[in-house]
Amino acid sequence: MAEALIACQGVSYRYPITGYLALQQVDFSVAPGEFVLLAGASGSGKSTLCRLLNGLIPYLRGGEVGGTLTVAGMDPGVTPPQQMSRAVGLVLQRPDAQCLATTVARDIAFGPACQGLDRPTIARRVRETAEWLDISHLLERAPHTLSGGEQQRVVLAGVMAMQPRLLVLDEPFAFLDAAGASQLRILLHRLHAAGVTLLVAEHRLEEVTGAANRMLVLHQGRLVADGPPQTVMAGDLAAWGLAMASPVPAPPPDLPLTASESVVEWRDIGCERNHQPVLRGASLSANRSEIVALLGANGAGKSTLLRHGNGLLRSQTGDVRILGQSIGRRPVAELARVVGLVMQQPARMLFAATVRAELAAGPRALGRYDPAWCAQLSKRFGLDPLLERPPQMLSVGEQRRVAIAAVLAARPQALLLDEPTAGQDARARMVLYALLRECAAEGVAIVMATHNLAWAYPLCERWAILAEGRITIDAHPTVILDQPELLRHARLPTTLARAA
Amino acid sequence: MATSVTASLAPLPTATGLFDPRAKLFVYLVTFGVVLLATELTDLLWLNAATLLAILLMRAGEDWRRALWLLSPTLVLFAVIVGLSDGPLNAASAVLRLLGLVTVSVLFFATTSPTDLGESLLASGVTPTAVFLLEGTLRFTPTMVLLVSEVREAQASRGIRLDGIDLLRNGVALLAPLLADVMRFADDLAEALESRGFGGPIRTPLVEYRLRLHDWGLIFGVAALVVAMATLRHA
Repeated sequence: MAEALIACQGVSYRYPITGYLALQQVDFSVAPGEFVLLAGASGSGKSTLCRLLNGLIPYLRGGEVGGTLTVAGMDPGVTPPQQMSRAVGLVLQRPDAQCLATTVARDIAFGPACQGLDRPTIARRVRETAEWLDISHLLERAPHTLSGGEQQRVVLAGVMAMQPRLLVLDEPFAFLDAAGASQLRILLHRLHAAGVTLLVAEHRLEEVTGAANRMLVLHQGRLVADGPPQTVMAGDLAAWGLAMASPVPAPPPDLPLTASESVVEWRDIGCERNHQPVLRGASLSANRSEIVALLGANGAGKSTLLRHGNGLLRSQTGDVRILGQSIGRRPVAELARVVGLVMQQPARMLFAATVRAELAAGPRALGRYDPAWCAQLSKRFGLDPLLERPPQMLSVGEQRRVAIAAVLAARPQALLLDEPTAGQDARARMVLYALLRECAAEGVAIVMATHNLAWAYPLCERWAILAEGRITIDAHPTVILDQPELLRHARLPTTLARAA
Repeated sequence: MATSVTASLAPLPTATGLFDPRAKLFVYLVTFGVVLLATELTDLLWLNAATLLAILLMRAGEDWRRALWLLSPTLVLFAVIVGLSDGPLNAASAVLRLLGLVTVSVLFFATTSPTDLGESLLASGVTPTAVFLLEGTLRFTPTMVLLVSEVREAQASRGIRLDGIDLLRNGVALLAPLLADVMRFADDLAEALESRGFGGPIRTPLVEYRLRLHDWGLIFGVAALVVAMATLRHA
């Protein structure tokens, strides 16, 4: 039997300052050529373990490491990451911070150049890796001009060009749409077939279970399951904060539309960016108490359409109407009284010293602060224990709840949400689901851009698909799922099992 | 033979421009120093004329015009303040000196990308960390601009204005998320750099830079000119 590539015996890790024990007595080993899925809810210790494997922990973070860990014959506890990187490639979550150079070619060459390889070898590796990952056409592009999915492939190429023996990916599917996720699945399959040892940390289990030949589950820092994916998946996933897409409950009944109920309406919106059309006559409306999912691939223009809804972007053609009135040139801050927008990255909305002050900031700016309503929202969103904490120090799931509550505190009649489930585990998605249902029951019209079809299916009365700059269909979810060709055309999954 | 070597190095970048970036850096630093130290109005006029001629020859007129447009309020303010305190002659000198510094800077940065400069300095033995500081500024400026724009949009969506006088009143709504995100970004960037093997003593330059005869000619020519000017001044 080949020597283990990863040998982890009784490994524990405690973060400095907070003293948080992130890993406790973790035991496992990985043989060369294995494809391991490392599953676990947010905060289970997945990212910590990934960083231990290439020495980022404790090199950058400090803290106390216990037990024995050997990776590719090296001890990451005493070997600097610069040396570990020759054997262990790590792809982190945020692709924009991992594209390090001004062009894709330079970026892929970055790692091999840091290894001190000669120029012809670097050039050959850049060529081969780019061809292998099908990004040769992007080599001269600047990374910041690429989509999230493209950036992720560039990052993967940069790590692959260093020819590591072990490739570790930390939640690589977090910000990918269905098409991007499908491409990444194929890539991982090819890498595995080429003999690369893979360890993929992920809570979107259905993305990886089909390809992995082994599954580890971390729960509250402990390894609670280790075996073939089929066997582990038969265990108590819900108890570990993990859940698969099925079984899926039925969506709410289809309600008849009446023009008078419309809170926000987009009429024939046209928009260009860098002389390229993004929207070409997109029309959509949201009525009181209705939840509408705006679906589409990455780059389809979902965020652009939402930003027209509260006046952040002004339509070059067409019109946006709020409560039946054209928004004209009315300022965004004034429109915020009726339409609230929660962005994909909630941390960018939060600035106050405490959650309590954060909830009050928006309504105060609009002159409609109501302490009783804020207290009610805080209770409903489960924020009471967090009221005196700084919002920037909360988890992403908590920050999203604060951001939505902060927007609702100004009592808008429509709520626009941009990818509300991005980077959230099953438990956080369930909490959000219940909260949005409550908001809709109170009359708020909700439009959310999402690529999580399985989550949106039981939640929404309507799905609207945005493709090629237009809404190609706007109907009840069951009607749309009966038309797989429309979903395929929009680069969306055709079944809910692939869509969580 | 040369073609096959170039082909084997594709898609790595190749050296661009007539002069080596290091030769241009030398000329830039020397000229910057001379403009900074010049006190006579006639000297400053000559220096401005010479650098403007270079701007025209290098076809950097559009960059210069844009820089000047951005700087024009500062130049006017500068002229008024110095004029009121030290008289019109000193005001003219001060404005010409500032204009000269801007012109040589535009000339250098319009003809030398920071990436090329970084690669050439790497070839001269400057540490990879120092070079990345230069490259990183270029790489991450668009990302930071995007971040500022997103935070502004997020706050506007909540009814918090960040334009005009409101920026002073609500500045914390822009600065706090910005600072938090930049710190997170820096953290992620540090991890990404370490994971890609950055931090070692070596990094292969992707472009082979070599100071050629005309580069040395430029360096020594400019040095000789400065020495001659200084000698004539003190004669």
